Amino acid sequence: MKKILQVTLGILTAIGGFVDIGDLVANALVGARFGMSLAWVVIVGVVGICLYAEMSGRVAAVTGRAVFDLVRERMGARTALLNLVASNLVNLLTLAAEVAGVALALQLASSVSYLLFVPLVAFLVWFVIWRMPFEQMERMFGLAGLALLVFAVALWQLGPDWGSLAHQAVHPSVTSGEGHPTYWYYAIALFGAAMTPYEVFFFSSGAVEEKWSKADLNLERANVYVGFPLGGLLSLAIAATTAVVFLPRGISVDHLSQVALPTVMALGKVGLAFLIVGFVAATFGAALETTLSSGYAVSQYLGWQWGKLVRPRDAARFHAVVLVSLILGVMLILTTLDPIKVTEYSLVFSAVALPLTYFPILVVANDPGYMGDKTNSGFSNVLASGYLILITVVAVAAIPLMIATKAGQ
Amino acid sequence: MTGRVLDLAVHLLDRQVVDPDGGLVCNVDDVDLLFPDDGSPPYITALLTGPAALGPRLGGLLGRWWVSAYQLLGQRHDREPDRIPYELVTDIGSAVKVSRTRAEMGIHPGEDRAREYLVDRLPGAGHESS
Repeated sequence: MKKILQVTLGILTAIGGFVDIGDLVANALVGARFGMSLAWVVIVGVVGICLYAEMSGRVAAVTGRAVFDLVRERMGARTALLNLVASNLVNLLTLAAEVAGVALALQLASSVSYLLFVPLVAFLVWFVIWRMPFEQMERMFGLAGLALLVFAVALWQLGPDWGSLAHQAVHPSVTSGEGHPTYWYYAIALFGAAMTPYEVFFFSSGAVEEKWSKADLNLERANVYVGFPLGGLLSLAIAATTAVVFLPRGISVDHLSQVALPTVMALGKVGLAFLIVGFVAATFGAALETTLSSGYAVSQYLGWQWGKLVRPRDAARFHAVVLVSLILGVMLILTTLDPIKVTEYSLVFSAVALPLTYFPILVVANDPGYMGDKTNSGFSNVLASGYLILITVVAVAAIPLMIATKAGQ
Repeated sequence: MTGRVLDLAVHLLDRQVVDPDGGLVCNVDDVDLLFPDDGSPPYITALLTGPAALGPRLGGLLGRWWVSAYQLLGQRHDREPDRIPYELVTDIGSAVKVSRTRAEMGIHPGEDRAREYLVDRLPGAGHESS
């Protein structure tokens, strides 16, 4: 049991990245429109994020420096500022959507408009960051998020034709009636979701908050190799449930309630109860992750004291950034902007910011001046360089594809 | 810390400064170099930090705006960056370690204002969170 509790940082990071509100809907939407033919993207994304999260966590454990420290050191003050502005814009959009996501999950349970829950949810997010110890926070929301495994149970209960699902995944083809640009647009959205920059900001800063050192590198790897594949598995399970139920009927998905429908069909009220717990935990976890990431990134760029390890008054500017980000997020959502659209856009924008975040991680993870004998192996360097090229291609293609497909319509 | 050959841009600029308690002090935004009259190589006299040091490095309109915005927020009228004398530097690695604490060097007008006007007014600001 103790072992399980120690990997909750990886689980919470991955849940926030893979099954936050935008991804819950995006995965379901992709399943309903393309079946499992985009499953390979999730797998490519899981390998990529494992590779880079492991590096960022290792650098943090060995040196105590989190990702945005490295970004500024290696990219210089100007380029790093560009990255900071881009990443924090993405963060802010995502954070706004997650707060709304928690509220939407509560709406699903209570039928009370989500807008009424938004200020309450934002207050709770702030309160958790202000008072709850980091470890307790990560355990509570990481473990509660596992309630989403109900999607896997539901899939099994639906009794799908496994052969046909596997065939869709292994022989990907664009479903009839869908265009190639749309297919690739969603491929980028899923890849962007797997590799969102706030995951490495949060994971590496969390490693510092947890006081990991060189002695904890095995623990660090366990977090990565349990957490992120689990996140990927959840997102595949969601896509599979909607591929089974909606794809044959030609129904498209754009609401959270539709994401829940296949599970409710399979498991009834009990399934719904698990789902709502999982939705709330995952979106709340993602809200914490993005809010903290804003504070981490700004503070690390400017060299301020950050983190929950010290008393709030000793990291005053960090907490000020956290509070301001939350207030801006709430204001954005209270304009009644569609929160799910907000995350879909933010995923594509985050694809653009990816190379500026991942390149410095790769450079520093190879610097013996920092890492001593804990530098990358040759194999992971080859793989990581390949991903860097892929990330750059994705970053260049993201916005043109978004315009060409009118954001996947 | 004399006589070691450092690549300024790689080893010093933009690094985190850490105090003896492990507190995060600031980033090295710039350095102050002294060029001796006899033509011998220049040496570092101080690490510079704060918006007045970072602004010029960002350059252009953005840099000037950066400095002015901070002067407004921090209610400071001078354009001098905060200085950490180079004698205080004890180690240069993945962070730059110095021998005095944050409080002793007193280079945190922004942190003090955020504490005074916002954080200390909220309940529980002095409570250990973990």
